[in-house]
Amino acid sequence: MSGSAFDFRDVVYAYRSQRALDGVSFSIGLGERVALLGANGSGKSTLLRMMDALVFAVGGTALALGGPLTEAAFAEEATNFAFRQRVGLVFQNPDVQLFNPTVLDELAFGPLQLGWDTARVRRAIDAMLDRFGITHLRDRSPHRLSGGEKKRVAIASVLITEPDVLLLDEPTAALDPESRADLVAFLSHGLREGQTVITAIHDLDIIDHISDRSIVLDRGKVAADAPTLDVLHDIDLLRRTHLVFEHRHSHGIAAAALHGHLHAAPDGGATT
Amino acid sequence: MEDPAYGVCTCRGKKRRGLLESLIFGLIGADTHSLEAETTSALPGLLQGVDPRLKLVSLLALIVAAVSTQRLTVLAALFLLAVGLAVVSQIRLARLVRQVWIGVFLFSGVIVLPALVLVPGETIAHLPLFGWPITLQGLRSASFVIGRAETAATLSLLLVLTTPWPHVLKALRSLGMPAAVVAILGMTHRYIFVLMQSALQMAEARQSRLMAPLDGPARRRLMLTMIGMLLSRTLTLGTEVHAAMIARGYRGEVRLLDEFRTRPSDWAFLLATLAVAATILGGRL
Repeated sequence: MSGSAFDFRDVVYAYRSQRALDGVSFSIGLGERVALLGANGSGKSTLLRMMDALVFAVGGTALALGGPLTEAAFAEEATNFAFRQRVGLVFQNPDVQLFNPTVLDELAFGPLQLGWDTARVRRAIDAMLDRFGITHLRDRSPHRLSGGEKKRVAIASVLITEPDVLLLDEPTAALDPESRADLVAFLSHGLREGQTVITAIHDLDIIDHISDRSIVLDRGKVAADAPTLDVLHDIDLLRRTHLVFEHRHSHGIAAAALHGHLHAAPDGGATT
Repeated sequence: MEDPAYGVCTCRGKKRRGLLESLIFGLIGADTHSLEAETTSALPGLLQGVDPRLKLVSLLALIVAAVSTQRLTVLAALFLLAVGLAVVSQIRLARLVRQVWIGVFLFSGVIVLPALVLVPGETIAHLPLFGWPITLQGLRSASFVIGRAETAATLSLLLVLTTPWPHVLKALRSLGMPAAVVAILGMTHRYIFVLMQSALQMAEARQSRLMAPLDGPARRRLMLTMIGMLLSRTLTLGTEVHAAMIARGYRGEVRLLDEFRTRPSDWAFLLATLAVAATILGGRL
């Protein structure tokens, strides 16, 4: 698939006087699978929100799917409507994402807002419940679901509208190992071919499964933009951007050995 | 003497809960009640199987009939009908006694107590100690008030216990309640549990670090701090949820999926209850 999903040039965003994004530039093509890496406070979530037109740049140029990503452009109903049909964001906290009283209502929300007819909505709900193995949760309230179930419902509620671009904010946060493994398997093999997937994450263990390219953010700036495997093997970069740290205990070497992708660490003392 | 670990007074053999303990028990209790209601609404009983919209109309009609009837025997029959509906819907009577009947009897009983002696009429007994006359008419008035309150409350609880809350809301929507109101009520129900969980965690975190019992002003300060924190979290959550709604195409108008399907048995239930109500109302029974 050709064309650009996002094209950012010297983008700036600030919370009051604090710059969350400071001259960010990159281009992401349609169909790419990209990880946004960075420690807490690096600007990942802000960037993801900007890509979903929830916040807008105060400096620089941001384009999404060929159109300007500006407040003025999104004040137009038609622009907003067309964009929401093509871009979906899964929030980090499922309790934010799941605001409807039942799982069924949650899945129905997006399609209904986009004007789908009810027969199509019902068919899509049944398909999505089946695809995610959550048919048994259909009438359950989100507050009665486990963390893994909530995450699956949250992703299903976004994917149901079949967006061309899927944005994920820390999808593995607070998941137990089994739920995390299920999610990684889904993100690796369960998504539509050609779908653009951008994942904000600081969990280095899984990024080579879910992305081919990584953009590393550090204090609001792009510190690196390279193939994911190259980023994973650049220990100096990972240390500099606080994505790995020196293990302070004697079992550091053993811990590093458990992570195959860190075998290249020069002193064996780095771990995630 | 206070138990320093929990701030609980164990004096004179009685255990008094501290402020935080009461809050924690209250939040757990609310969540338990909600879970029980969700469980009973999933049981294979008569009312659970009725379409929520028709069930709402049916029970409302019976409530109107109960508050309108002029005969105690008819009121008693409606009350027994409500009890019968509870039984065939697998609602335990002990639960109705605990959750409705005792509370409603005490509350409405206090209100109507003066009527026993103030309503003029034929004296049937005298109030012990005071010797005030209890009249037949006063007793009848009090029985009507208590009977109507008990019947209406029982029917209302049956609706809540046999219908998942989201379905109650959708039934209201089907009956003409504005979509925005239904959405607000639905989100309130959804997030009350998130905030309850948040409050519970805050209370437990504070309780776990409490080394000695707090005095009155300190407890009040603590409570105010928690309320402030909760309010702040609510505002943050509200902003985030709004962003999540916008992200999924919300443009100021709420659209809901109507998922109900009626069967002949649902209509039969509606017709039966409407016939009962119409007979009472039309016949001025």
